[in-house]
Amino acid sequence: MAELAAIALNATSYVLILILVALGLVVVFGMMGVINMAHGELFMLGAYVVVAAQGAGAPFWLAVLAAPLVVGALGAIIEGLLVRHVYRRPLDTILATWGLSIALKQMVVLSFGPASYSVVAPVEATIAFGTFAYPVYRLILMAIAVVVIAAVFWVFLRTDFGLAARAVIARPDTAACLGIDTRRLYRASFVIGTAVAGFAGALVSPLISVDPQMGLGYLIPAFLSILVGGAGPLAGVLAGGAVVGGTDSLLTVWLSPVVAQIAVFGLAILVIRLRPQGLLGARDGA
Amino acid sequence: MAPRGLAVLVFAVLMAFPAIGGDYWTDQLTRYLLFGLFAMSLSLVWGRGGILCFGQAMFFGGGGYVMAALTMGLVGGGLAGGLLTSTYIGLLAAVVAAAVFAALLGYFLFWGKGLAGAYLAIVTLAIAFMLEQLIKSWYALGADNGLSGVPPLDLGAFGWHLELWDPAPRYYAVLAVVLAVYVGLDRLLRSPFGIVLTAVKTNPDRAAFFGYRVLWIKLVTFVIGAAIAALAGALFVAVDEFASPTLIGFGLSTEVLIWTALGGKEMVLAAFLGALAVRVMEGYLSESLGDYWILALGLGFMLSVVLLPRGLIATPIASLAARLRGNRR
Repeated sequence: MAELAAIALNATSYVLILILVALGLVVVFGMMGVINMAHGELFMLGAYVVVAAQGAGAPFWLAVLAAPLVVGALGAIIEGLLVRHVYRRPLDTILATWGLSIALKQMVVLSFGPASYSVVAPVEATIAFGTFAYPVYRLILMAIAVVVIAAVFWVFLRTDFGLAARAVIARPDTAACLGIDTRRLYRASFVIGTAVAGFAGALVSPLISVDPQMGLGYLIPAFLSILVGGAGPLAGVLAGGAVVGGTDSLLTVWLSPVVAQIAVFGLAILVIRLRPQGLLGARDGA
Repeated sequence: MAPRGLAVLVFAVLMAFPAIGGDYWTDQLTRYLLFGLFAMSLSLVWGRGGILCFGQAMFFGGGGYVMAALTMGLVGGGLAGGLLTSTYIGLLAAVVAAAVFAALLGYFLFWGKGLAGAYLAIVTLAIAFMLEQLIKSWYALGADNGLSGVPPLDLGAFGWHLELWDPAPRYYAVLAVVLAVYVGLDRLLRSPFGIVLTAVKTNPDRAAFFGYRVLWIKLVTFVIGAAIAALAGALFVAVDEFASPTLIGFGLSTEVLIWTALGGKEMVLAAFLGALAVRVMEGYLSESLGDYWILALGLGFMLSVVLLPRGLIATPIASLAARLRGNRR
């Protein structure tokens, strides 16, 4: 029983982290059709903000709050200098942001070195579930992740900004004709997407070893989650993240992590191929 | 399409190179030629076929591992009097294996409505990542350590051996293969098939309307690209005497994408020169620039995608060729 609880908790925390990473991606991809290959590196930068803060002796929670601001500001610069110029060439965004991801990774190598860092969790306590102890920090992380995910959904589904954003997603030209400033919305969405990535990286940093290569391990599952869930509706990312993350966590119980990952990727590719509109997408792709 | 005169000039320079370049650079250039051959395969598939494959290295590395496993005698070494360890059989098996794999994978990816654009990029990226993980934990193939001690190219057959140990003969053997593939590709792309391929890339629906079988045309392109990549990979492990998991995965897949895009993906010769240029610069600059070289490469790649999407080498060649044509008229 206790073992089952541990599996369920681990699966839930991985799913929530994956959704958090994928959410920033899907905002940018669903809205602007921009494939941001540097998203994993923005996630990584969020973790490095915590590493830098820890080195300077700043408190953990301050660093977690600073991470989305730092990474979001970087997102605004990236949007202005790079992404803005390739909006009309969606496939070129893959290449351009790929170049960016290489550059970001190398900047981190140059300033922090290629080795990995470990971040000390702010809460060391554990909570006992029957026979096994579960770190309290993971529970806090899950609660925060749920709040952030809910907040992003609230912004896009319940505010005027979100209404305008969804109008731009559905019919960009018509939205522009109606006087919506699409340029400003694109920039705002990109910054929100990158800030969420930075925040996710900062939150996860105590659980993993922070190194310059960490982004890719989250980028591919996040992309697969989006495509499995369906890139159209925002809720698709919840379904996709749950399927990809949940399957991975459950298979890891019986299989080695490598085999589990290969199995999950294969399964995700099969779903994407057979149902390209995603689990939650409508048949006509609307 | 690159002017033929330019291709003749490029290959003439490459033929003269060992006489002036010295053994060290001849040896290095042998490897770069194979990366160039690899870039040609992506230029065909992506630049001319419009199939954005983010995992092209699965064919390069796959071909390399087939070649290594066969020539090292890991697969039925004693069978047929060591026939299976021959260079020719190894190359043939690598190319055929990659072609069959590409045909199956391509059919899975392209049938029906088919995956295209960003979806295809992400799926091929994930496949390359999966294969790299798989090969890294495959103990019979050396797992993380790879296979070292791959025998050199051996032009002999039937018990008679002609092993290529010296840089210059090896260089010319590789250059001959590269030249042959280039000529073949050039002819293919100038043939009616090449024109249909452009039609399929530009507007698949309209091409289908005219009665062309889009699935088949894409499949043939994908398979030829895979075969060329596998040939490059198989030759590479024989030259390098080492097959490692880095040849198959995600890292090399994206590197070849950068070479091809920097050179110019629509022009096979430009993609080939792109790979050569980046590798030569890396050889020179990575010592003086150190870690800043990768940073410069990433930033340079970004700039070229935004400002010169047709490629740094293809753009001047195309404008020069247009000007020459204008004068002739």
